[in-house]
Amino acid sequence: MRNLRRSCHVAALSAGVSIMALQVQAQPAGTLRIAVGADPATFDPAFNDLPVGNAVDLAVMEGLFRLDPQNNVQKNLATDYAFSPDGKVFTVKIRTGRKFSNGDPLNAEAVAASFNRMLDEKTGSIYRGLYASLGTIKAVGEDTVEFHLAEPNGHILMLLSNTAASIVNVKALQAMGAEYGRKPVGSGPYMVEKFIGGEGFRLVPNPSYSGDYPATLKAIDFTVVPEDGSRMALLETGSVDVVERVPPESMPAINALKDAKVINPPSMFSINMEMVLRGPLADPRVRKALNLAIDREGITKGILGGLGTPSVGMVGPGTQDELRKTFPPISFDPEGAKKLIAEAGYKPGQLTLSFTCPTGRYIKDSQVCQALAGSFENIGIKATPLVVDRGTWTKVVGMEPAQRSDNMGMVGRATAGMDYTLYRLFFTGVGANRTGYTNPRVDALLKEGRAATDPAKQKEIYGEIQNIVWSDQPFLFLWYQTQALGVANRVQGLAIQPNETLVFDKVTLK
Amino acid sequence: MFVLKRLGSALPTLFAVSLLVFLFVDLIPGDPAQILAGPTASNEEIESIRKFLGLNEPLLTRYGQFLRGIWDPSAATSFRTHRPVVVELSERLPNTLIVSIGGLALGLVVGTIAGIVCAMRPGGLADAAITVLTLAGISMPIYWLGLLCIWLFAVNLGWLPAAGASTPAHFVLPILVIATRPAAMFSRLVATSLLESMGKDYLDTARAKGLSETRVVLFHALRNSLIAAVSVAGVQFGGMLGGSVVTETVFGIPGVGRLLVDAVSRADYPVIQYAILMFAFFFVIINLVTDLLTQWLDPRTRDQERAI
Repeated sequence: MRNLRRSCHVAALSAGVSIMALQVQAQPAGTLRIAVGADPATFDPAFNDLPVGNAVDLAVMEGLFRLDPQNNVQKNLATDYAFSPDGKVFTVKIRTGRKFSNGDPLNAEAVAASFNRMLDEKTGSIYRGLYASLGTIKAVGEDTVEFHLAEPNGHILMLLSNTAASIVNVKALQAMGAEYGRKPVGSGPYMVEKFIGGEGFRLVPNPSYSGDYPATLKAIDFTVVPEDGSRMALLETGSVDVVERVPPESMPAINALKDAKVINPPSMFSINMEMVLRGPLADPRVRKALNLAIDREGITKGILGGLGTPSVGMVGPGTQDELRKTFPPISFDPEGAKKLIAEAGYKPGQLTLSFTCPTGRYIKDSQVCQALAGSFENIGIKATPLVVDRGTWTKVVGMEPAQRSDNMGMVGRATAGMDYTLYRLFFTGVGANRTGYTNPRVDALLKEGRAATDPAKQKEIYGEIQNIVWSDQPFLFLWYQTQALGVANRVQGLAIQPNETLVFDKVTLK
Repeated sequence: MFVLKRLGSALPTLFAVSLLVFLFVDLIPGDPAQILAGPTASNEEIESIRKFLGLNEPLLTRYGQFLRGIWDPSAATSFRTHRPVVVELSERLPNTLIVSIGGLALGLVVGTIAGIVCAMRPGGLADAAITVLTLAGISMPIYWLGLLCIWLFAVNLGWLPAAGASTPAHFVLPILVIATRPAAMFSRLVATSLLESMGKDYLDTARAKGLSETRVVLFHALRNSLIAAVSVAGVQFGGMLGGSVVTETVFGIPGVGRLLVDAVSRADYPVIQYAILMFAFFFVIINLVTDLLTQWLDPRTRDQERAI
């Protein structure tokens, strides 16, 4: 009997081993061809600011943690982590024996060097401020990394799972200089084989990769085509398998194709008019009236062609959903809005507002701007939409509230973190708080929320903050963008994160 | 001597351009540091990036640095990629030149042939058809024509690739599209100028020698008609370099035009400044070459030059 049991065990074990062996032996096959609209200038995670760069960084490098397609944090290089009792040191254990694609060891020292390089002022990283709370990073032995935090931060996992925190090979970077941005040396399942500026780049499997997401494709070819019509033509002619950013007007044509369809994954990108809280907009009744004056359903269906859903909360879906709070949709009530404007002491035509919108930055941005002007006119407000170029728009919406001569600006925001979004936008006096919003209760909660490490406590704190902000209405809440990608039927298993990052973990081609 | 004199007068022009380019780019709305840092960045972060990029230096220092970048590539690096601008430009320039020179050459050949056809049988069917096509060629926006060609030749007929630059076939559509305008212009120019010289005495002499009308036109009248075409071609080529912005965007060609558009939208000052300076340099050279060609074609201009 015992023998029988043993032989069963052996059989089961060997079956298991052979299944594993089969999985291991599954060779990468096929070439996935993708046409992207934006031209990535660099894949260096300290400088990359494009979703296509994120997708490459996720495939070519590894971080301590990573986000799954639903933006949940998963361990990647990390095997274990813990805060010190006083919350000032965050320790991460990492896998041993890992290597970069050039053969250099990926140990604790390499991880510490990567973070310290990003935080060094001389590097000039655009993410230094975002990661400043990480403090100093030290390697302890081969497999332990210690973050000696500059301030307690309960959102560190979120920060570390972002592709901006991907581990770069500092030694290779120093040798390669700026060229590292084109052919980064990482430890991920793929590596950049070639990069032709403005034209495209190709990823191929990294033979030395030994992690949990081995390459499934022989190559991933990216072509950069900024013009929407030309990019769609590439999918229509079968020259590529995936096109990103399908404009609303091209959706029917692509859905009519035999070999490809449009997919619409949710996006965390949340578009709002951020109000300058002085003059007439200091009055909550006016802010509420403006929010009631907008027909969000009409805008998302009629102007955006379905590529958006009306806002029901401060932050978009996928922004730490476990902490995110949603509210009933704001009703479209022009009569109620008119009453509120009258209550605030303005006769029809007496209140004048101007607002700044970019052109070509968000889907149909300038058209929405015109529609908003119409909605405001409808409730007796003289509205002037200022549609400006990207440079001017960046300048205007980045000004201090006191310097602004307009009353609102259209801004889209997408950050994975609740703390990052809310703290920067609503803490009194912080540099990125461009509305001039101030609320002592929110300030206290934001501080508390940043330091809290207990998820239940965080949920309670951020729930209250979102409640207050939603009812204070410092923004004209508009919509959450919906992504639109054209994908050929032969592509299986492509996942897209809410931050528009393509995930190639399980992609196969029929 | 003439070449040297012309080159000498080009230097102050280029210097003036460098100053204007530098100042105008500085006036573009939007702060590069702010654009790089993103909309959620704090003032301190923006300031730190500004310092890193050297934007907090006085204007004169930055202009000096800009001039130094002309001969020292390491002093002129892109804000976004941190690579020397000269490397960025030299990678993209061949594509722009292929499309511009190819388009101009094709336009010149097609335009000249069409012009000759029109001049040989004025008022005929071919003349009428060419006139209509010419009008269409001159009035059609490149952008629209480009998309139309993609729709017809790439999507419907499947003959040519829609966008990209990896094979010679990728350049066929852009060159065809960009050639329409010069072709149309040259055909009008050559036709008018040929018709004008048709009645001239020296052609009668040629005819009296027993040459056929085709030989008279091709070997005697055409040379004079080409003088005007050459000076227009110079200006056209300059315009094509500028027009490369549109063509390269539509056809996804990685050329200097698209690099420039990207640089403007991301406030990558060094790339904008050096790209424009390079275009200005090309304009100066093209003007010089045009003048030399005109002199070679028309000996009278040489005499004028000597008289001065």
